[in-house]
Amino acid sequence: MAEVEIREVRKSFGRLEVLHGVSIGIQDGEFVILVGPSGCGKSTLLRMVAGLEDITRGEIRIGTRVVNDMPPKERDIAMVFQNYALYPHMTVAENMAFSMRLRRARQAEIDTRVKRAAEILGLSALLDRHPRELSGGQRQRVAMGRAIVRDPQVFLFDEPLSNLDAKLRVAMRAEIKELHQRLGTTTIYVTHDQVEAMTMADRIVVMRDGVVEQMGAPLELYDQPDNIFVAGFIGSPAMNLLAGQVEADGFRTEGGLKLPIERVPAGWIGRRALYGVRPEHIELRDDGVPVEVLVVEPTGSETLIMVRNGAAQLGCLFRSRILPQPGETIRIAPNPALVHLFDAETERRLVH
Amino acid sequence: MNDIAVYEADLATKRVRRRWSAWEVWGVALLVPYVLVFLLFVIYPVAYGFWLARDPQAYVALFEDPIFVRAVFNTLVFILVGVNLKMMIALLLSGFFVHERLWIRWLSVLFILPWAVPSIPTILSLRFMLNPEWGLVNQLIFRLTAEDGPNWLNDPSLGLTFAILVHIWKSLPFWTLVLVSGRLAISRDLYEAAAVDGAGRIQQFRFITWPSMSTLYITCLLLSMIWTLGDFNSVYLLTGGGPADLTHVLATLGIRYLRLDAVNLSMATIVSAMPIVLPLVYFMMKRLSR
Amino acid sequence: MTRRRLQAVANEAKLLLIGIPVLLWTLLPIYHLFLFAISPKQSAFSGNLWPEEPTLRNFEIVLSQQHYFLTHFWQQLGNSILIAVATGVITLFIATTAAFAISRLRARGGRLVMNLALFTYFIPAAFLAVPMYRTMGLYGLLNSRWALILAMVTVASPYAIWVLKQASDKLPYELDEAAIVDGASPMQLFRLVYLPLMMPSLVAVGTYALLLAWNEYLYAFLLLSRDTDITLPVALGNFLAADDSPWELLMTTGFIYALPPAAIYYAFRRYMVAGLTAGAVKS
Repeated sequence: MAEVEIREVRKSFGRLEVLHGVSIGIQDGEFVILVGPSGCGKSTLLRMVAGLEDITRGEIRIGTRVVNDMPPKERDIAMVFQNYALYPHMTVAENMAFSMRLRRARQAEIDTRVKRAAEILGLSALLDRHPRELSGGQRQRVAMGRAIVRDPQVFLFDEPLSNLDAKLRVAMRAEIKELHQRLGTTTIYVTHDQVEAMTMADRIVVMRDGVVEQMGAPLELYDQPDNIFVAGFIGSPAMNLLAGQVEADGFRTEGGLKLPIERVPAGWIGRRALYGVRPEHIELRDDGVPVEVLVVEPTGSETLIMVRNGAAQLGCLFRSRILPQPGETIRIAPNPALVHLFDAETERRLVH
Repeated sequence: MNDIAVYEADLATKRVRRRWSAWEVWGVALLVPYVLVFLLFVIYPVAYGFWLARDPQAYVALFEDPIFVRAVFNTLVFILVGVNLKMMIALLLSGFFVHERLWIRWLSVLFILPWAVPSIPTILSLRFMLNPEWGLVNQLIFRLTAEDGPNWLNDPSLGLTFAILVHIWKSLPFWTLVLVSGRLAISRDLYEAAAVDGAGRIQQFRFITWPSMSTLYITCLLLSMIWTLGDFNSVYLLTGGGPADLTHVLATLGIRYLRLDAVNLSMATIVSAMPIVLPLVYFMMKRLSR
Repeated sequence: MTRRRLQAVANEAKLLLIGIPVLLWTLLPIYHLFLFAISPKQSAFSGNLWPEEPTLRNFEIVLSQQHYFLTHFWQQLGNSILIAVATGVITLFIATTAAFAISRLRARGGRLVMNLALFTYFIPAAFLAVPMYRTMGLYGLLNSRWALILAMVTVASPYAIWVLKQASDKLPYELDEAAIVDGASPMQLFRLVYLPLMMPSLVAVGTYALLLAWNEYLYAFLLLSRDTDITLPVALGNFLAADDSPWELLMTTGFIYALPPAAIYYAFRRYMVAGLTAGAVKS
């Protein structure tokens, strides 16, 4: 186990720079998830840590060693790939033993390690199978087994769950998290799925267009997004964002809707801003603003209702089971304590 | 943003290896065997061949040789008539072979034989079949009509026709298979949709099969033309270029001059085939090395 | 019979109407060959479709080298085998290494080499034969079996490289990366990951090269001339020059010679058809 230090790392493909100076410090044993839309550079960054991409500028340190010029096999890392990358012609056991075989480890040691990894992952009965005889979830587990066998300082995961169906993904999510709690190995995990990030990470790094937008614990990002990108990216269903201006007694949207804020930020009266409220932070209230119901999506445990007032559309999520008809008018009110305000120009959060 | 994603995937492996020479060294080292073969047995012979064919006098002599003129004509007939005929039959037959019947599967297994077995025994067999006195064909004609059949291979046009037929017999299976795989790649849904829309067989061919296969067909046609230019066996083993050297094509003519010890004429023959070969090769390179 | 059934029968009849001529067309020359092989000399020329007294006498004569045209039958068959196997093995070696370097290692200049190979592939082999013949003379290889082996390798490897490159481009590159992370060197990647995964294509390509050399006539007859060096097709070709050709023996020998490729082809049909027709033209 080791800490990982990524300092001012840049990456260019030809003249195209895709990472513009990224710095992330990862503590020993931490589970860090890099998340962002496709093309944000998260996979490239992971591959640079793995040694599959060279580092244009900056420095990556694993433990005490700067690994910039080290080939992957010397970095003491293990990687799990999106499509598993299992060797099709080898059995599960051979797949897991391959790295040790390359290092000419003793057969006895290989056997013990493979056996242990198989036990951890519940693969003991499948050791003689070939990858094509396994289900998606089992393959994923073999890929993890291959990483565990090496007992590396750092685990790297590159979108490992994106080829699985929704149900399996939820199960594997829990399994990976449990595995991390058990082994305590430093882990860097890349995904484009914010739910994965929220549920698994100790710390999330949100990236966009080759820069880090925000870094922090999942709930920190949820509660205090630094900017509208993070605000919109983290949380599902996504945060409602309404343009308008700050007034002395609240926020007025462009459509003239009056919405409450807890405390008007100093010096912001009359200035243009974005009003952000999460669907789950909207309540039904008799003294709320009247809105027209567009679509009702009951899931059983909660109800998502799309509403409209003028041009403004909002998603509202209620724990209670209410079933208004489309076209009906209901009255809603955001919880002012949980409202976010963003500068309309810089798109950054207004501190309050 | 999309560009970046594509870049990430595309350059993935290349980037890694740039750093450690081991990968680069091996990459180049593993190319060496083929490059050696290429230099020793392609580049050098070709360069040497051009050098042998450097004398303009050779071309004058060549163009004045009526056999050469006839060979050019024969070659053109071979690739324009023969290859087109062959490919059209292959296209039609590919439609036959996609039918799912057990006996058609067995037939397709047998159908491949001409392509799989060596040319020489089968062509000799055909040659003997056409023997004027003892050949199977004339024997049958004699039995049926009590008259002697023609001396098939002693007539230049018939000889060339049979050479073309031999060529078709030999290479039809291969091209049919290629076109069958092309046809199988077309989604069935398209035909079902067309049938629902009321398209008949001919319309299905015109609006679905042909548009999906035209690129493949043209590629096959060009490739087959190139290879047919180099078909030595069909002519040489059947007619030997005769009678009176009137059925030669460029591929056999080059060898004829070589046997007459006129290497410069031999090479000049090959060089004069280049105006036909090179444009075709250029097209194919553009098609395949995309 | 309902109308539907009638139509189905008509459909089958139409298919048969194509199938039967195709069968006859395909098999006639081969059957003719076989017919000669099992006919006694006198009745071979009778024009019958089945000999009155089928015999294996011709095979006996050929296999025991009893005719003066056939004194080196076994030697020449051996030459054919040697040359075909050597061509297959050497082509496989050259093409596999090149395809690995081009496709997996993305070697510098790999693209150029691929294009050169493709270019060679498109030049009809018959046109290369004359310069090749002269060059082999210069190299002092004329009349050596090596000349034919090397020539056949030259002719076979461009297509072999092309097919193998196409096939190996389809392997996911993550496999290589996984192997790199696992600590594989280039040669370990080649040996432990690449070769096992390429097996089906290697079989197809090896067989292709082997059959190409086995079936070759032109190069064999240009490059080899001593009776003890030539391959069987050349020996068969030499029959032609003679006035008193024993046609029934010629056909028998040819029939024997055609058997191994047919057998090999059927044994590897699964690999061959998919591997070779797909590689021939990328659509």
